[in-house]
Amino acid sequence: MVEQATKMKRLINAIWIFNWFNSCGFTELIPLVGSRWDMERFGMIITGTPRHADVLFIAGYQTLKSIRRAQVIYEQMPDPKAVIALGACTMSGGMYWDSYNTVKRLTDYIPVNIYIPGCPPRPEAVFEACMKIFHHVGAVPPHGKKFAKAHKG
Amino acid sequence: MAESLHKESKVIEDISAKFKIAGKVQRERRVWVTIDKDNLIMLCNFAKGLGFEHLSAISVTDWPEEGTFELTYHLWSYSERILLTIKTKIDRANPVADSVVPVWQENAQIHERELHELFGVEFEGNKDLTPLFLEDWNGPPPFQKDFDWKEYVRQQCYDQANERERAYYD
Repeated sequence: MVEQATKMKRLINAIWIFNWFNSCGFTELIPLVGSRWDMERFGMIITGTPRHADVLFIAGYQTLKSIRRAQVIYEQMPDPKAVIALGACTMSGGMYWDSYNTVKRLTDYIPVNIYIPGCPPRPEAVFEACMKIFHHVGAVPPHGKKFAKAHKG
Repeated sequence: MAESLHKESKVIEDISAKFKIAGKVQRERRVWVTIDKDNLIMLCNFAKGLGFEHLSAISVTDWPEEGTFELTYHLWSYSERILLTIKTKIDRANPVADSVVPVWQENAQIHERELHELFGVEFEGNKDLTPLFLEDWNGPPPFQKDFDWKEYVRQQCYDQANERERAYYD
């Protein structure tokens, strides 16, 4: 397992990200793409298809309709994969906590690895979350194995 | 002013000559008419013949005290540049209306589908009234005024015994 982790760390120099953004969640990540914070210098690359993605970014409040599409996207991503939830609305419904058609607990619908709180989260917080992925890449299970099994072994 | 509203008055004249209903010129380019629901489709066909070929929107207003839903059809005429608003009332306990899909085709379909989901209005003749936004929804139509959505959310999504969620009940 240690050998596996070393191998993975050597191999991975970038993480490819698929964005699933509702409402204002999209605008919160826009500064990262621009030249001021420039996420690509840390090896965070946005891809257009979930088939190529390592990480799923979920932002904005999720509705009953959109969460199903997020689940499909998650299923389409190859292992190993991670899910990062950005912002208050994504995690708990935020200011829409009493709405009848928003998702109140994201973990009921999709396995989340990292939560980034804030409304919106600072770009630095997003970078830190991605650095954690780089550091813990050895703990991400190899193909076909579930998280729980990998931690035991 | 009166002269400038000539084309608006003409629309009302045409309609009232055929349907014996009174209309109202709200202001420039805005005309309202009210009709009973049995003659709605006939009026819609007639209005389309007058040039109101674009159905901008359909809306429902809920009047719980009165026991009615008020259907409002907003029609736009490209040639006359007038927004014609047709209003009709249906029974709230038995919310059934004739579909205007035969008149404006697919343009009307999505509006009726949405209103069926949000208000529970049955549009007879519309073939696809499946839920549009609310998938897996078991509750009542959420836009009805007597639907207490805050209470619904508390019951469905939160647990008062949970210390972290107790604040939602204050």
